[in-house]
Amino acid sequence: MTTLEELDDTLQAGSPVPVEPLGDDAGQSTAKVWLGRIAFGAIAVLVLLLLATQSKARATAGLAGGAVVVTGGLWIGANLVFNQAAKNWQLFNALRYGIGGFIIAGIIAGNGAINGASEGTGVIGRLTGFIWFPLIIAAVTAATGWALGRIDAPTTRLAIGAGGMGAAGLIIGAMMDSSARPDNDAVALIGWTALVAGIGAGISFLRKQPPTGGALLGAAIGWILGAFGAPDIGDGAAGWAIVACTIPAAAFGLRFAMKPIGGVVEHAQVDRRARPVIFLAPALLFVTVTLVIPAIRTFLISLKDRKSEEFVGIDNYTDTFSDTNSWDMSGWNDMFFNWPMRIGLLLLIMFAVIGTRMKQRTGRLVELGSPSMGPLIAGLLFVAFGVFTTLRGTIINNLWWVVVVTIFSTALGLAVAVLADDVKFERVAKSMIFMPMAISLVGASVIWRFMYVARDSSKEQTGVLNAMWVGLGRLSTGQSVAATVFVFAIGLTGLSVLLRAIAGRKYVMALVAIIATPLLVLGVDAAWEALSGDLQRFLIGAILTLTFLALLAYAAKAIARGDFGPAIVPTIAVILLGWFLVRYWGIVGGGVGGQKTNSNGEIVGDPINFIQSSPYNNVFLMIVLIWIQTGFAMVILSAAIKAVPEDVIEAASVDGATSSQIFWRVTLPQIAPTIGVVVTTIIVLVMKVFDIVKVMTNGNFGTQVLANDMYFQAFTSQNFGRGAALAMLIFFSVMPIMVFNIRQMQKEN
Amino acid sequence: MNKRWLKLAAVPITLSFVAAACGSDDEGSTDTTPAESTDTGGDAKTEITVTGPERDESEAGSIQEVLGAWGDENGVEVTYIGDADWEANINTQVQGGNPPDISIFPQPGKLAEFARDGDLVALNDDAAAATAANWSEAWTVFGNVDGTQYGVPVKADLKSLVWYQPAAFEAAGYTVPTTFDEFTTLVDTIAADGGAKPLCVGIESGQATGWTFTDWVEDMVLRQHGADVYDQWVAHEIPFNDPMIVESMQTVLDLWSEDNVFASSGTIAATAFQDNGQPLVDGDCFMHRQASFYSAFIPEGTAFADGSEGAVDVFYFPDINGDAPVLGAGTLAAAFNDDANVHALLAYLSTPEYAEARQAAQQELKGGGATLSGFLSAAQGQDPAVYQPLEQSFLEILDTAAIVRFDASDLMPADVGAGTFWTEGTAAVNGDKTAQEAADAIEASWPA
Repeated sequence: MTTLEELDDTLQAGSPVPVEPLGDDAGQSTAKVWLGRIAFGAIAVLVLLLLATQSKARATAGLAGGAVVVTGGLWIGANLVFNQAAKNWQLFNALRYGIGGFIIAGIIAGNGAINGASEGTGVIGRLTGFIWFPLIIAAVTAATGWALGRIDAPTTRLAIGAGGMGAAGLIIGAMMDSSARPDNDAVALIGWTALVAGIGAGISFLRKQPPTGGALLGAAIGWILGAFGAPDIGDGAAGWAIVACTIPAAAFGLRFAMKPIGGVVEHAQVDRRARPVIFLAPALLFVTVTLVIPAIRTFLISLKDRKSEEFVGIDNYTDTFSDTNSWDMSGWNDMFFNWPMRIGLLLLIMFAVIGTRMKQRTGRLVELGSPSMGPLIAGLLFVAFGVFTTLRGTIINNLWWVVVVTIFSTALGLAVAVLADDVKFERVAKSMIFMPMAISLVGASVIWRFMYVARDSSKEQTGVLNAMWVGLGRLSTGQSVAATVFVFAIGLTGLSVLLRAIAGRKYVMALVAIIATPLLVLGVDAAWEALSGDLQRFLIGAILTLTFLALLAYAAKAIARGDFGPAIVPTIAVILLGWFLVRYWGIVGGGVGGQKTNSNGEIVGDPINFIQSSPYNNVFLMIVLIWIQTGFAMVILSAAIKAVPEDVIEAASVDGATSSQIFWRVTLPQIAPTIGVVVTTIIVLVMKVFDIVKVMTNGNFGTQVLANDMYFQAFTSQNFGRGAALAMLIFFSVMPIMVFNIRQMQKEN
Repeated sequence: MNKRWLKLAAVPITLSFVAAACGSDDEGSTDTTPAESTDTGGDAKTEITVTGPERDESEAGSIQEVLGAWGDENGVEVTYIGDADWEANINTQVQGGNPPDISIFPQPGKLAEFARDGDLVALNDDAAAATAANWSEAWTVFGNVDGTQYGVPVKADLKSLVWYQPAAFEAAGYTVPTTFDEFTTLVDTIAADGGAKPLCVGIESGQATGWTFTDWVEDMVLRQHGADVYDQWVAHEIPFNDPMIVESMQTVLDLWSEDNVFASSGTIAATAFQDNGQPLVDGDCFMHRQASFYSAFIPEGTAFADGSEGAVDVFYFPDINGDAPVLGAGTLAAAFNDDANVHALLAYLSTPEYAEARQAAQQELKGGGATLSGFLSAAQGQDPAVYQPLEQSFLEILDTAAIVRFDASDLMPADVGAGTFWTEGTAAVNGDKTAQEAADAIEASWPA
């Protein structure tokens, strides 16, 4: 009460303390808090409802919750134990000896090797059934640890270590169930003990430590192996069981006692060294269970036969490589004569010519952004196409995917990132290109399948690409040239006039546009249909020729002026349109695009079977992934480009570098590590490509890739050995790239 | 308020929901251990899942309707799942320990493999007795593995049929061929006349792409080389790349030349097998060789064999040596789950009552009236009146033909019959391989 009054007083006194008025802001934040509470309550109710109604959810929640509690408890416990290392060494020593003894004795008793320790029924029964035995052993070992943590005299330590641990071993041996008592196999016992002791001594020697410790440890392990691993287990002599257990335990005890007690520094070191292990343990455990063990298992399956029954060595791998479906070299002699190879070689010759000229001038054959770089890269790409289209098979296809998708995704992503940098519509352009990343691979495949659809040549094409291709064919052969183009042109003009008139409030004009446009459309359409076919063809040709001439004049003028940049697009258009017109007027052959003459002499559509015609159907599948991955490359590279320091670029431009020089010699070297990460990430993704092939061809028509073949072998043919071998093949080929990638990323950090 | 504990709690809760969502629905009661034909009684499921490759609306709809009605009577909820990728998914489901209670196998070869691996449950005495009583041994033998009855025949198909439009034939002046020579001559004539193509062919069928090609090859082997060679081929007593088999494959590929075939998706390999009914009705092609069940894929509203304009009829795919061999096929239901109600449902599936009910339901779904349902059963004791006259003639052919052979690819090991025969056949059809290369690759894949 007083506080409120005081506050009131201060306020009235005009205190300089700023107090926020209870305005809109405060109301809003209260509302927000309440909204949050309601949402939380709703979710909680939903969760409880699910847990109450779904027995499976309840069971799994219990299991997962229990696992989290147990793991968390163990983790906290481990931390607490190691907290004692620096504080109270004696307690710590007792704890670790006790816990160690408890765990080992628990394993022994839990496996039914102890007389009188049995699994009872129910949770309590189970615990009381055999928990007493580990507790006894833990008490003995903890006492040993307690003593070893206190006494400093070396001989006394040795006696306590051997005696204490030996006593624990004696108890285990004495209480051993008759079914677990081993026979005495002296030869194996001596052999194993000597062998492992030798190994232990050797390891100690290599680590430049006195070999006694290693030999003792090895002898203990060897003894256990020889006493329990080699002979038959069960109904051995009771006395021998005691000896077999006591001696190795005593040896362990001796070894532990050999280590001096150490001072504060050593104890703090134990604490410090243990922490990273404790902190990593949950993650390591998770990785082991979900990744390492499955990987090892897959490797083992790959060495077994189709039903994982017998070991067959590396047969599955040799079968994979000898199968012509995965590795077909039969076409190799065509490799040097197909057209991509010829173009590639031509480009490489071009590179050689330009490169030598460059070398005379600058002393280098090729440089980033030099004129010789283009022909070199394009040439190598074409040569790769020449190789990949003639050598066929699953493995070749995978390599082809890696080369094409990686190069094109990265190059296109880089191009967009550079070109869209700091332009007006940057955000829109980038969002558009990034959009496909949001589409699942399966969804993208379905979309592109519609793009690629072909219909029988006598039908209208429903696929976008084939409709354009066949439409081009019809246009270029002057068949059934529709007035659609004109109708569209008039319609669009009318619409734009209408919109402009409305925007300018010229309603009379708008009315005229509304009335005149449809009339014009209908009139032109009717007039067009009335013309004879030849006249239609001539008119279309005339319009296109005039366009061609206009473009030619523009391009020529630009080139004459020396403006090569603006001349690029018109020049390409002139070349394409020129070729089209040559075919259109029948100067060389007839027609461009999807059309052919059938056996009856009629011209019919000739769609491209994008998905079925091998080997280039592979490329059309790759386009889907390029379409998706370009956005990824663009985003990462765009961020890298923006991170290039402005002053470096400014300095370069002050020094008189052109914008292309700045890009090739300043920006690109700066973002090279990022490009490395993008490339390796895409390679790893492409090596595993599955969805696109599965959806679009299911591996038919020579488009099989490793991942889909793995699925086919394992789950359709039920040949698990072969499937696992393919999985390992993918794993091995991805591995080095992953390692490189991770190192690169660490270097960057 | 410190809400960190909430984040901690969220992890196990989320995990548990993910696990619950991913887990199987059947509460661990799936007992996949095989058992001899004994009455287990006791444990009886109240929810039974049946899967199969039949997924057309009328097929899947009628199965669900009839099984659902049986379930209502017996207090069991029966769900039928028609699966486009049944061939691959059934393997994964069995391997994952999560098989359906009953699956309907189009391939006796695959059924036998599952039975030998111990994944399938043999019929109990009641179901086995019902099967033996309702189907002739010629059919039950395909569900019998090493002397134990695992499968219940539930459907019969007649494959050596060619669908055509009599009115279109008449208008163009063609006659129905009665020998294989006449058939090839007719194909050449139609191709030379221009216009509509002689044949509609499409072999795309999801995971099972290529099976249509295997049917053609089987029909050709039966015609060119006779039933004995056919049996040797199926049993792998002659290699798959035997010159006789390659010859039959080549004959089919030659018939499927570009001039002869209308492929509605551009190429044969790209055209779905279901997509050939429309062009046949539209007059884009004259003939379509496909099994009796294909009437399910003829567009709705089409009349069958009633002499009207646009009606569709069939003729027997002509033979070469005058022995009139017939290629048949069928589906068999088998159980993955040893359960009293599952066995009871299998027993019901073998009965003529099931066949009649399914025929009525499927015909109704196809539009009723005089339409063909696409379903056919060879169960004994059915009322013939439930079938249309054309369907009755199919049954008669199946009953009376001297040489009836089951679809070879369905009898071969699944690696071949549901694997390489399809994929390599598709490669050959697409022109990526020659018939010889394809046959060599199939032979190499035959499991030792």
